[in-house]
Amino acid sequence: MYSLTDLRVILRETAPSHELDTEKRAQAQRLLENLERQVASLKQEMLR
Amino acid sequence: MRCANGIEARQVNEIFINIDPIQAGGRLTADAMKAVIAYGDGYSVCDNCRKPNRLDYISKPPIAEFHRDLAAWLNMDTVRTVPGARRGFQAVSHTYVRKGDPVLLTSLSHYTEFLAVEEAGGIPREIVADADHRVTADATAMKIEEVKREFGRVPVLAFIDHVDYQYGNMHDVKAIAKVTRQYDIPILYNGAYTVGILPVDGKDLGVDFVVGSGHKSMAAPAPSGVLATTKERATEVFRTTSIVGDVTQRKFGIKEPEMMGCTLMGATLVGLMASFPHVKERVKRFDRELENNRIVMEALLSIEGTKVLSEYPRRHTLTRVDTLASFDKVAESHKKRGFYLASALEDNGITGVIPGATKIWKFNTYGMTAKQAKHLADAFVAIARENGLPVT
Repeated sequence: MYSLTDLRVILRETAPSHELDTEKRAQAQRLLENLERQVASLKQEMLR
Repeated sequence: MRCANGIEARQVNEIFINIDPIQAGGRLTADAMKAVIAYGDGYSVCDNCRKPNRLDYISKPPIAEFHRDLAAWLNMDTVRTVPGARRGFQAVSHTYVRKGDPVLLTSLSHYTEFLAVEEAGGIPREIVADADHRVTADATAMKIEEVKREFGRVPVLAFIDHVDYQYGNMHDVKAIAKVTRQYDIPILYNGAYTVGILPVDGKDLGVDFVVGSGHKSMAAPAPSGVLATTKERATEVFRTTSIVGDVTQRKFGIKEPEMMGCTLMGATLVGLMASFPHVKERVKRFDRELENNRIVMEALLSIEGTKVLSEYPRRHTLTRVDTLASFDKVAESHKKRGFYLASALEDNGITGVIPGATKIWKFNTYGMTAKQAKHLADAFVAIARENGLPVT
């Protein structure tokens, strides 16, 4: 949930083109990977 | 996309550069968004409320510490959070103004200051801003003398906006406060456009009260704000209750009548608190904000016929412009009439200008990146060129 918030802020900072520079791209990459881990964990916890 | 039944998910700030004059400083930080999610439940900050049962005493989450830090940051002695700057005006007005009392406002004062005076039964007397739309110490002294002649006494309270909402001009509060002190008139500094935007030092300004707006300038949810006072004034505005029920003999501890007990709770308060460390840092970088504003202003002024109505060079990012002789000329014959400008801006990923406005309008560049400022500047020039306006 909080990773999504950080991604939301990147969208705000780069509006309207949403062209990400190297730093922002790396930040987005980290957040998306973290998000995937969290989703996997939730799946394991809630759908077992 | 909907976030709830019948409620569209708002994505204005994700899709567009938003130059709405009142929204710029209130956009939430990531930490505030997270805190709002975590503390959305009604009485969420009250989990650990213990005696003496008042909001500003709660230590978990660190609300008490936040109050102390906030007061120190403003260089005032005491602070309370309030549901918007207007509730700060109301508390102060209700404390000092009685029916028929004259109160000093200005010709650029926000309407909520008038309403606060009206509710207390006061009579507003406005200091007139000069031809450059600035409120001066000399004009303040003249108005006080005028009020003395009219009422046989000085005003009981003065409200001065450091940066006004109409022009975004910066007024010399320090010099004005020096005048009001000579007459023993308590002075309220309205920092709705400054607290959280640029450094504010209440003691240096010599004011009795500092009011700020959380949702306008402190990256906080609405309605939120702050009311800070000197030690002397705190005993008056933040006096505690003395009422007793005649049947039950109940008393209400240290609750403060002007605050109606506890003030901000839940999402508004934690949002304000979560943004506070970021706000403390961002005020130190106000020069960058002015630089972004300069980029946009130079582009706008390169469009022949465009005038700036605010003081120039700018000392604040809220700016009023006159485009009667530029964008409004296009509106006369454009098939979309005056709506073409907002529409063209939207096509360029920009929002916040009132649809239909092409004559005199305001915008705010606060909070954008340098790249976004350049995008905005280029968009204004491109729209002018596309519509046949000369650009120098």
